[in-house]
Amino acid sequence: MSLLKKLSRARWLSSLIFLIVLFTITGLVNPTFFTYSNILSAFNSSVVFTLLAVGISFVIMTGEIDVSIGATMGLAAAIAGTIAQRGGSVVEMLIYAVLLGLVVGAINGVGVAIIKVPSLIFTLGIMGIVRGFVYVYSDGRTVENFAGAFTNLGSKELFADITVYYSMVIVIVLVAHILLTRTRNGKNFIAVGDNIGGATLIGIPVVWTKISAYMLCGVFAAVAGVAFASKYGQVNIVAGSGYEMSAIAACVLGGVSLSGGLGSALGAAIGAVIMSSISRMLVFIGLSSDYDNTIKGIMLITIVVADALMHTRSVEKARRARLAARASNHNSAEVGSSDEE
Amino acid sequence: MAKGDNKKQLLRVEKIYKSFGSNLVLQGIDMELNEGEVLALIGGNGAGKSTLMKIIMGIYQSDKGDIYVNNKHVHLAKASSALAAGIYMVPQEPMLFPNMTVEENITMGFKGKQSELRNKIIELMSSIGWELDLDRNASSLSIAEQTLVEIIRGLLREAKILILDEPTSALTFDEVESFFKVVKDLRDKGIGIIYITHRLPEVFEIGTHVSIMCDGVITLNGPVSEFNREMLIQGLLPSNMEHKEKIDITVEAIDYKNVKPVFELKDFSGYGFNNISFNVYPGEILGLAGVVGAGRTELVRTIFGCDRTLSGTVILDGKDITGLKTNAVLKAGINLVPEDRHNHGLFKISSVCENITASMLDRKETGGLLLDKKVEQDIANKYVNDFRIKVTCNEQLAGSLSGGNQQKVVIGKSLSTKPKLVILDEPTRGIDAAARMDVYRIIHKLRSQGVAILLISSDLEEIVELADRSITVFNGSINAEFTREESIMDNLTKASFGIYKGKEANQ
Repeated sequence: MSLLKKLSRARWLSSLIFLIVLFTITGLVNPTFFTYSNILSAFNSSVVFTLLAVGISFVIMTGEIDVSIGATMGLAAAIAGTIAQRGGSVVEMLIYAVLLGLVVGAINGVGVAIIKVPSLIFTLGIMGIVRGFVYVYSDGRTVENFAGAFTNLGSKELFADITVYYSMVIVIVLVAHILLTRTRNGKNFIAVGDNIGGATLIGIPVVWTKISAYMLCGVFAAVAGVAFASKYGQVNIVAGSGYEMSAIAACVLGGVSLSGGLGSALGAAIGAVIMSSISRMLVFIGLSSDYDNTIKGIMLITIVVADALMHTRSVEKARRARLAARASNHNSAEVGSSDEE
Repeated sequence: MAKGDNKKQLLRVEKIYKSFGSNLVLQGIDMELNEGEVLALIGGNGAGKSTLMKIIMGIYQSDKGDIYVNNKHVHLAKASSALAAGIYMVPQEPMLFPNMTVEENITMGFKGKQSELRNKIIELMSSIGWELDLDRNASSLSIAEQTLVEIIRGLLREAKILILDEPTSALTFDEVESFFKVVKDLRDKGIGIIYITHRLPEVFEIGTHVSIMCDGVITLNGPVSEFNREMLIQGLLPSNMEHKEKIDITVEAIDYKNVKPVFELKDFSGYGFNNISFNVYPGEILGLAGVVGAGRTELVRTIFGCDRTLSGTVILDGKDITGLKTNAVLKAGINLVPEDRHNHGLFKISSVCENITASMLDRKETGGLLLDKKVEQDIANKYVNDFRIKVTCNEQLAGSLSGGNQQKVVIGKSLSTKPKLVILDEPTRGIDAAARMDVYRIIHKLRSQGVAILLISSDLEEIVELADRSITVFNGSINAEFTREESIMDNLTKASFGIYKGKEANQ
C-alpha cells in the first residue's frame, strides 16, 4: 500500500509511461523500430542530453534557470578535443572539465543568488561570454583529428550491449537521484524551490544552496562536453548551442516543475531519453528530422503552459481559501447562534 | 496572581531601536518573557510588532539594543542562530513546502536520523493530542493543520520560545478552540509564547501577560489580570494627540435626506469579505477603518475589478457596475489611489506629466491618433499648480520626487479621469506632515466639488479629522457605523478590534 502510494507520487513514472507510449506508437507505425538494438541505442545515444538535463535539474529545482550550459559544454568539449589531439588521458580532460564547470557555475550562482540578477538574463550573458571563449580558444576552427582510442571509448560496450558511457551515466543518475531525495543537503534544493521564505525561516542556507546548484549544473554540463567530444570525434565552434533548450525540455518532460520544488534527477534522465529519441523516431515514422526542434519546442511550451496554469490555479485557490476562512470567522465567532439563511 | 520571580527567564530584549531610512520603527523596546508565560502582544497597524519579531528571529538586525536568551547575551545575525537559541516563529501565513509531505516539512533542515525523528514527531503529537497523517502532502492541509505543522516543527527543535503571529486569523471558530487548548498545554509545559493578535478577547482567554505597542514604543505592559478591555483600548490610543495641526476649513453638513447616494454597495461579497453594504453620497467623505487583514484591501480591489465578485451589487450613479473589469470600472467613474504607491501607483521612470495623464490617454481630449503634447502639458500644469507639487519641471522623473509629492502625482493621475467616486487607500502613509496637510486640502477641495470619497486609513485620527461618516470592517464584515459626531478615536478603535458594543450598524 505504502509502496503504491509512493509510486503514485513519483512524477518520473508518468514520464516513463510517456516514453513507452512514444516507442509503441513509433513501433506500430513502423514495426522495424521494435528491435533490441534500436531501443537500446535510444538510451546509449542520450548520454550528452542526460548529463545536461540532470545537471540543470538541480538549478530548476531551486526555481531558477541556466541557459549557459550549452556554451559551457561546448568549451569543455573544445578543451577535451585539444587534449585528445595530443593524446592526453580522459582523466586529464575530466579534471579540466570539472574545474571549468565549477568556475562557470560559481559565477552564475553568485550573480543569481547574491547579486540577484534574474537568472535567465544573467546566464544568458554568461552564455555569450563562454561561447566567445570557445571561438577564441579554438581559433574559429573545428577541433578534430583526435589521437588514440578516445573516440572509440563511447561505443565500447560494457555489458549487455550497454556502452561504457551509458553505464557511467546510469550510476551518476542514480547517485544524483539518491542525493536529491534521500540526503539533507539534496532536499535543500527542493525546499528552496518550493518555498524560499519558509526555507529561510527554518535556517536553510538559501544562497549557498543556489550557488551549489549552479556549480553542480556547470560540472554536469562540462562533463557532458567531454562525452560530446568523444562521441562525435570533432568539436565544432557552435557545439552545444541550442542544447540548453533540449535539456530544459527534458527536465520538464521528466516532471521537473519550472516553478521549482518538484521533480527528480531520474525524471530528468527519462526526459532526456525522450528528447534524444525524437529525431530517431521521426525517421522511423517517415517524417523529416528537420521537424526535430519544432517538435521539441512544442512539447516544451505545452507542458510548461499546463504546468504554469496548474501552479497559478493552486496558488490562487490557496489564497482564496485563506481569505474565505478569515471572513467566515466573523459569522461563527461573533454572531454565534444566528444561522445564515 | 502575579507570576513572578521564581520563573526562569527565557528572553529579554533591551532598548531595541530600528529604523528604515528616516522612518523610526522601533524606539527603545524592552520586553521580557518567562517560562510558561503567554505574552499577548497587541498594537495597531504599523506599530512595529512584526519588525520586532523579525529582529528576535534574526531576519532583521536592530540598530541598537541587546537581546538575552536564558540570561545570556546573544547576537542573532541570521535565522539559523535564532533557531539554535531555541526561538521559533510561526509566521502569520504558514510557510510550508507545499510539495512535500507533512513529515518532510517538519524534519526539513533538521539533523538527526529519519526514523528516530518520525517516532519523536508521533510522540510529540500524541502528547498534545493530535492526529495527522505524516505522509499527506502539505498542499492538502487546511490552514489550521498547517499552523499545527508549524508548531510541531518548532517543538521538535525543542524551541523554548515560540512566536505565534496572529495564528487564529485564518482559523474557523472550532479550530480556534482546539488551537487554544494546544497553546494552554504548551504553556503548562513551560514554553514561553509571544502571541501577536488583533483580537482583544483572545488576550484574556489565553494570555498571562500583555504588552501593547504603539508607534514603536511599548505603551502598556504587565500581567493580564491587572487590566480590563477599557484599559487596553486606552493603551492602543496614540499618546501624543496634539501633534497634528488642524486645518480650518468649515465643512457644511450633508443633507442626507434630500441627496441620493452616488455609490451603493448591496450585500457585496468576495474573497475575504462578506455581505458588505454601504452608500457614499456626492460630496461626502466616508471613512473606512479596520485592522490589517480585516478585508479592506480585498474589498477595494474587488470593487475596482481586480478580483472576482461572489455576490451582491455595485451601483454607481444609478448604473449597475457589478463585476466589471478594471478598465470598465474606471470608465464608469471610479478611481483608486492605491495603498502601495511604489508598486501600484507610480510610473517611476516616467515624467510627472506622463504620470498625471496616464489614466486618460484613451480619451479624446488628449489627441486622436497621436497624443497632443500641449494638452498633456496643460493638464499636468493644472495639477502641479493646484496640488502644489514641487517639481523643477513637468519632465522631471516621478521617482525622483519626495514621497509626499509622489503621492500628489498619483492622486492627480486618479483625478484626471474626473471620477464620480475616488477611493483613497492610505493616502498619507509615509509622507511628511506638510505634504499631509496638502493632501487633506486636496481631499476637502474634491469634497466641495461634489465628488464622493471613500477614505481608507489605518490612521484613525485621519478618519476622525476628515470623514463625514465612518464605518469599520472587522473579519470581513462591517461591524459598526458612526456619524461625524460619533467618529471619535475611542469608538473607532473599539470597533476595529471588534469589541464595540454600541448601537448596531445597519445601513
